[in-house]
This record gives sequence, C-alpha cells and structure tokens, in this order.
Amino acid sequence: MRRSLYLAGVTMLCAWTLVPIYFLALGALGGRDLVNTFPKPFWPGSASLSTIRDFLAIDGVTGATITSVETACLCMLFSLILGLPAGYALARFSFRGANAYRLLILLTRAFPVAILALPLTVGFIRLGVYDTPLGVSLVHTALALPFAVLVSSSLFQAVPRELEEAAWVFGCSKLQAARRVVLPLALPGIAAIAIFAFVISWNEVFAASVLTVRHRTLTAYLLTVLSESPLHVQFAGGFVLILPTVAFIYLVRKHLFAMWGISNR
Amino acid sequence: MIRIVTSVLAATMAMSLPARAEDLVFLSTQLRPVEEAQKMREIILKAGPVLTTYVADFPQVVPTRLAAEREGGKHTVSLVGGLHGELQPLVTAGDLMPMDVLAAKLAGRGIPPALMELGKLGTAHQMYIPWMQATYIMVANKQALPFLPKGADINALTFDQLAEWSAAVQASTGKRMLGFPAGPQGLMHRFFEGFLYPSYTGGVVSTFKSAEAEAMWTQFAALWKTVNPNSTSYNFMQEPLLAGDVWIGFDHVARMLDALRQKPDQFVAFPAPAGPKGRGYMPVIAGLAIAQGAPDAKGAEALIDYLSTPATQIKMAQTSGFFPVVTATLPDDLEPGLKLAVAAIARTQSAPDAKPSLLPIGLGTQGGAFDKIYLDTFQRVVLRGEKPRAVLDRQAEGLKKIMAETGAPCWLPDKPSQGPCPVE
Repeated sequence: MRRSLYLAGVTMLCAWTLVPIYFLALGALGGRDLVNTFPKPFWPGSASLSTIRDFLAIDGVTGATITSVETACLCMLFSLILGLPAGYALARFSFRGANAYRLLILLTRAFPVAILALPLTVGFIRLGVYDTPLGVSLVHTALALPFAVLVSSSLFQAVPRELEEAAWVFGCSKLQAARRVVLPLALPGIAAIAIFAFVISWNEVFAASVLTVRHRTLTAYLLTVLSESPLHVQFAGGFVLILPTVAFIYLVRKHLFAMWGISNR
Repeated sequence: MIRIVTSVLAATMAMSLPARAEDLVFLSTQLRPVEEAQKMREIILKAGPVLTTYVADFPQVVPTRLAAEREGGKHTVSLVGGLHGELQPLVTAGDLMPMDVLAAKLAGRGIPPALMELGKLGTAHQMYIPWMQATYIMVANKQALPFLPKGADINALTFDQLAEWSAAVQASTGKRMLGFPAGPQGLMHRFFEGFLYPSYTGGVVSTFKSAEAEAMWTQFAALWKTVNPNSTSYNFMQEPLLAGDVWIGFDHVARMLDALRQKPDQFVAFPAPAGPKGRGYMPVIAGLAIAQGAPDAKGAEALIDYLSTPATQIKMAQTSGFFPVVTATLPDDLEPGLKLAVAAIARTQSAPDAKPSLLPIGLGTQGGAFDKIYLDTFQRVVLRGEKPRAVLDRQAEGLKKIMAETGAPCWLPDKPSQGPCPVE
C-alpha cells in the first residue's frame, strides 16, 4: 500500500515536469499540421527537425545566443565575486545590522524592473554600458545576488568552524584557510549558485530588451516576437530555449543534490 | 570552473567584438512575428541601400527607449516604424524629426493625399511617411458556406445575415463556430471602434450612447450566443480557423494570413458585414519616421525612399500581409492565400456602402484608456449580460472625460467638431 502510494507520487511528480516538455517536443518536431490536430498522436508520424532548423536559421539567432552566453557567464561571475564574500561575512562574523543587511539584500528584488526601465536606461547610457552584455549582466547580477548571498551564507555556516580554525593553527592565513579549506567544501553549493545565476540571466527578458538594441540576448530577441508567431514556431522556440537550461542542470545534478544534502543536515 | 568561465567569456567576446559596424538601427513595432521579421531582414532589407539592423519591439517599449536615449544623450535608433496611433505620442514627446523635404521628394510615388495628411499627425510638418496598410477582414471555412442564408451574397453580407448564418451553423453542427479575437492580445477593440459602431450608428464617439448603439449592443449580445466561447482567449484567429474550432472568423488580415496561406483551398475571405449605416471598416496604416537626433538621418531617408518604391512595396505585400500605400500593381502570380486576402481587402475598400473609420486621432497616451471603454462595455453588456442602457450611460462618462482631457476633435466616421469630440 505504502509502496504503491510512493510510486504514484513519483509518477505524478515525473509527469508534472515531463508531460509539458513532451508536448513541447511534440509540437516542435511534428511540424505545422500536427500542432493543430487534436487528439495528438503519441508519436508524430513524421518527426523532423525542419522547424527547429528553420528557427535556428533566423537572422541574428547565433549572435543573440553568443550575447546570451556572454551575459549569463558575466552574471555568474559577478554573482560569485560579490555574493561569496558577502555570504561568508554573514556566516562567520557577527556584526551590527547583520539581520537588517539580510533583509536589505532581499529588497533588491522588491522593485519591479518595469518601473526602473526609464531611469535605468538613462543611467546606463550615461555610464556607457547601454546596449552591452556587461550592462545587462549588471542588472541580472542585481537580481541573482540575493540568492547568491543567502545561499552561500548558509553554505559557509554548514562548514564546521573547527576545520577553519585547525587550518589557522597549521599556519594558514585567514584568506588561505578560506580558499584551501572552506571553499572546496562548499564547492557543490557554489556550483548551484552559479547555475542559478546563469539560469536567472538566461531567462530574464525585460531588462534585457529595454537595455539593448543591437546586442540582444536570445530570450529578449525571441520572446518579444515569439508570442505572436504561428504555433509551431512557438513550440520550436520554446524547445530551443529550454534545452540549454535542462542540459546545464543535468550536467551539474550531482552537485545540486550534494548541496541540498548539506543544507538539510 | 573559473577557468572554464573565463575561457568561454574570452571566446565569446572575441567572436562578438567585430560588431555589425556602423549599421542603421530600424526600430519597428510592426512585422514582429519571427517569420515576418526574418523575411523583412532577409528579403527586403538585405537588398536595401544601407546596412540595417532591424529591431522589432513591443509598442509600449518604443516611447521609453526613445525618451531614454534623448535624456541619456546617446542615440542609437535612426528609423522608427509603427502604426499611426503608435507614432502619435512620439510627436508629442518631440522624438520625431519633421521630414517635409523627403515628403516633397516622394510626391510622385502616388501615396494618396489623405494618407499623407495623416502623416502630419496634426502638426504643420510631415512627421511620418505612410509605409504600408492593411485592414480587418473575415475568413470562413468552406464547410460553413452551405449554411449561408438564402439570397445572401458573401461579399455583401449584413450583420443580420451573419447572425442567421452563424445560428444555422450552430443548429446543424451543435457547436458555436463564429469566432472573434477577444483574447488579451487580440484586437477586439478595433472591431467595435472600426466596424460595429460605424456600421450601426455611423459614428464612434459622438454616437457612443445613442439609441442605435443600445439596439446594436442588444443585437450583438444575441449574436454572441452563437460565438465560440473560447473567443475570449483567441489572440490570432488563424490558429482556431486552422484547427477547425472556428468556421467563421474576424481579424486583422495579417493575423489570419497563415490560415489562408496554408490551406487556400479550404478557406474563403470576404469583407466584414454591413449594418444599417453602412459597411464600417478600419484601414490600418503604418508609417516610417526618423528619430530626433538620429545617428544616421541620411541613411534613414535613403531607406524610406527605398521602402516606398513600388517594387519594394510589392515585395512587402508578398511577404507580410500588409499592402502598398503607393501606386503599385500586384503581380498576377501571387500565391493563392495572399490572393484571397488581397481580393477581400479590395472588395472592402471598394464596397459601395463602405464607411471608412480611422484609428483614433489625437488621443496621445490616452489611446489605451479609449480602447478600454469599448472593451469594458463589451464585457459588461455581452459577457456579463448587463442592460446596455445603464452600461452605456456609465461608460459615456469615462469617454467624455478622455475627450475633454485630450481635446481631440472628431475623426472619421464622426462628423467634424469644433473642440473636443462630443459624446451626445
């Protein structure tokens, strides 16, 4: 009885994520006609990559992909550079206003980007980062940072202080101890932070489309137009857009589970 | 990890650095769908006189972007393409450059004077050059044709006949097969402003709460009983038409073209129905304007010149579902789906009882609020079943306020007014 309940639960959860992806794939591979037929066959009679190929052949998709990767990597880098020290400080040092600081960090997500669009764009033009991957990645970093700080602080908290102290005893400076002892232990979690930063940047549309003209990220370049395209193109676009994130998460799944292991301890 | 990231970064930077050099940025709210934008880039602009980056954006984003570039003092956008109503607020904000010289140069292209006049947007100068036009038509599945009421000419349908037709289809199939694009991104408000109101009341603003309007809403609410209830989620009619959920549909021609193109043998296209006051129809006009402070104004002028040559305009018609504004004869070997659309548009424009109704003029940023008046009236009368009289009186207050605030004089089909258009 319990076992069958368990299995049913697992099946439900798998279906929850897999069925939409399956329909997406079906729409993307089945071509124009299949999209409008209902009920849909389980397996498309003539699966072809032609829709996806057409989609990828669209002018500027390659450029936008490069910009997207660039922006997402920069965002990842900034989130780590800024987020890890902040998280470390929150975990290891008790300082006045630590709790207020925690809250304040979350506040960066409280302002809707839509309201900030005009002043942000004007500011970016004056700074000279308008229409550059760097500029977009700065906004994305602001969005990803709360997550990076809070998660890394709980990560560092989970690394026993005694290990760090032992390293000091054996002659490490504080920086060395952090780098050689704490960082490797927290690495899986850090990988997860990096992924989330990457995914947040990859998926973000609004800032990316307001702050750029020539150098659009893939999501901004396509999503602004995708909602008004014929269905089969929408399916192909959706399919192409989720592939990198799915692949990325698949590659680092071990680290992800490891992180949840730590924080559950 | 970090090494991988840095090497990826270095690689992508290296690849993207030789950016598309000094190209001209063409910001457009039209031809956004992937396939159309792609054709615009590949077929039209690649053969153009200047290297162009075509950026398609939502209408809401365009004023923000131009305002930001003006305040920030760095301009990237040279050419702006948009609908008449979308260009209007840009003039108010001072983001467009007058282009009288270019207008004089293009005088021989045969753009109708009325359209050129629209391009002044109420100023003394030419603010945009008409680019392309379209309108709304109806498309029906051939399976619906046997149910046409006796003696009805599909090309000269009335609203009464449409109701009869749709009811007959429903009686036979058991399904509600008439469809309207009343979804969140649909263009349903244009149906009221450009088709239903003019056809029944002969006006849009001044006749808003007239007795004719009351009768019209009562009839439309009755018609809605044969309309597919999913209509409130349809944004584009081409999908439900192709899927067979709808047999008779009304929408912007560009939003049904895909159905006509894919299955030209299965569909017919025809003008929207007529009411007691004529066959209301709304021409849709897109224009090309040059941004104030454009980094490449000369290039933008050259591009406008190129885009308004008859040859380019014909190519546009073949790829996009928008039609020429200049004198140009479409070739006979048009693809069959396009041919259907062209014929329906031509019949709409040349119908003896045609009653052209322009897009709202002079409402500036209140355009959205204006549309909402009509959509709210529709929601309350038709979807929620409230009494038309009470709703019209209530909504008319909001409409009066908008007209008083903007001071917009009447536009076609309302009679010209001194001062703001009155709601009688």
